[in-house]
Amino acid sequence: MINQSTPHIKVRYWEDVKEGDELRTLEFPITVYRLVMAAGANRDFNAIHHNSEYAKASGAPEMYANNLFLQGMWERCVRDYIGLAGRIRKLSGFRMKIFNTVGDTVTVKARVTRKWLDGEEGCVEFGIQSENSKGVTVGPGCIVATVPRLKPS
Amino acid sequence: MGNDWKAAWQPLMDAVGQDFSEGRVVNGADVVTAATIRRYLEPLEFDCPLHYDADVAKEFGYDDVIAPNTSIQTFSLPPMWAPGQTIFENVDRNAQPATTAIAGFKSPLEPPTTGFFATDYEAEYLLPVTVGDRLYRHGAKLVNCLPKETKVGRGAFLTWEMEIRNQRNEVVARTRSTWLRYNPHEAAL
Repeated sequence: MINQSTPHIKVRYWEDVKEGDELRTLEFPITVYRLVMAAGANRDFNAIHHNSEYAKASGAPEMYANNLFLQGMWERCVRDYIGLAGRIRKLSGFRMKIFNTVGDTVTVKARVTRKWLDGEEGCVEFGIQSENSKGVTVGPGCIVATVPRLKPS
Repeated sequence: MGNDWKAAWQPLMDAVGQDFSEGRVVNGADVVTAATIRRYLEPLEFDCPLHYDADVAKEFGYDDVIAPNTSIQTFSLPPMWAPGQTIFENVDRNAQPATTAIAGFKSPLEPPTTGFFATDYEAEYLLPVTVGDRLYRHGAKLVNCLPKETKVGRGAFLTWEMEIRNQRNEVVARTRSTWLRYNPHEAAL
C-alpha cells in the first residue's frame, strides 16, 4: 500500500505552479468500516451508503461511498498540493457517474490545467476525477484555488 | 402506463425557477466544533493542520481551526432527531426513520419516490468556516427538473440552488446540488 501520509506543504507559491503539474494520486480503499465512519462523520446516513441489502433494493450493485465523502477526497488531494496558504474557491463538475462501491478502491487523480492572475491574486485550476476498477466514477470536474504570489507586483 | 410516470413530474418541471423556501431557513444542527471537524477528517485521513491545529490556522490568517470546504453541507444539516419526535417506528431490519434530514430539499409538487441520492454538486466558497460558527441554509431555488429512466429506476434529476450562511448572516458558500429521486425497478426489490 502506498504511504498516504501528507507531506504538509506549508506554502506553494503561484510562481512555482506549472500547468500540467500532476498532483499526488490518492487511494481510498472502500470498506464497510470506512463507510460507516464516513456516515457518522459527514452525517449522510442514507442506508444506501452502509447497508448492502438496502443498497441492492434501491438498484445499486452494493453499498457505496456518499457524495460528501467523495468531495472530501477531492479536497484532500488539492489541499496536499496548494499547501496551507492556499484557498479553495470553487468546485464544479462533481458528477457521480458510477457507484463507488464497497470492496473497491477509489483513486483520485488531478493535474493543473490552468494558472492565471486575477489582479494580485494567483489562481490555479485543477482538473480532477475519481476512478475505481470500473473506470471514472466521479467527474472529471474542476477545482479553482488561490495561492500566494512570491513577488506581488 | 407509457410515459405516465414522466407526466407526474410535470408540475415540478413547470415550477423551474421558483424558490420553494418561502423565506424559511434551515439551521444547521450544531455549532461547528473542533471535535466535529476532527471526525470529518478521520475517514478521509485528511491530515491538514488548518483543520486541527489552532496555532497553525492562526499563522495562516484564520481566527481558529477552520472546517474543510467540503464539510459545509454537513455543518448546515438540520438535526436527525429533535426532542418530542419519534423517528424509529418500525422494527424491520432495513426500516428507515420516519423523517430524514439528508434527503435534500423536497417540494410538495414532487410525486412519491422511495429512492434518492445526490449526483452532482457545485460550490463557490466565499468565506472560511471557523470553529464556533453556526451555519444555516438559505433559499431553495429549483433550477432544473429532468425526468429520466436510469439503471436504478424511474424518477427525475432535480437541481437546487441555495446559499450557506453563518451566524453573522454572511454568505459562506453558494451551492448547486442535483438529486436523483426515483422508484427502483421492480427487479431490484
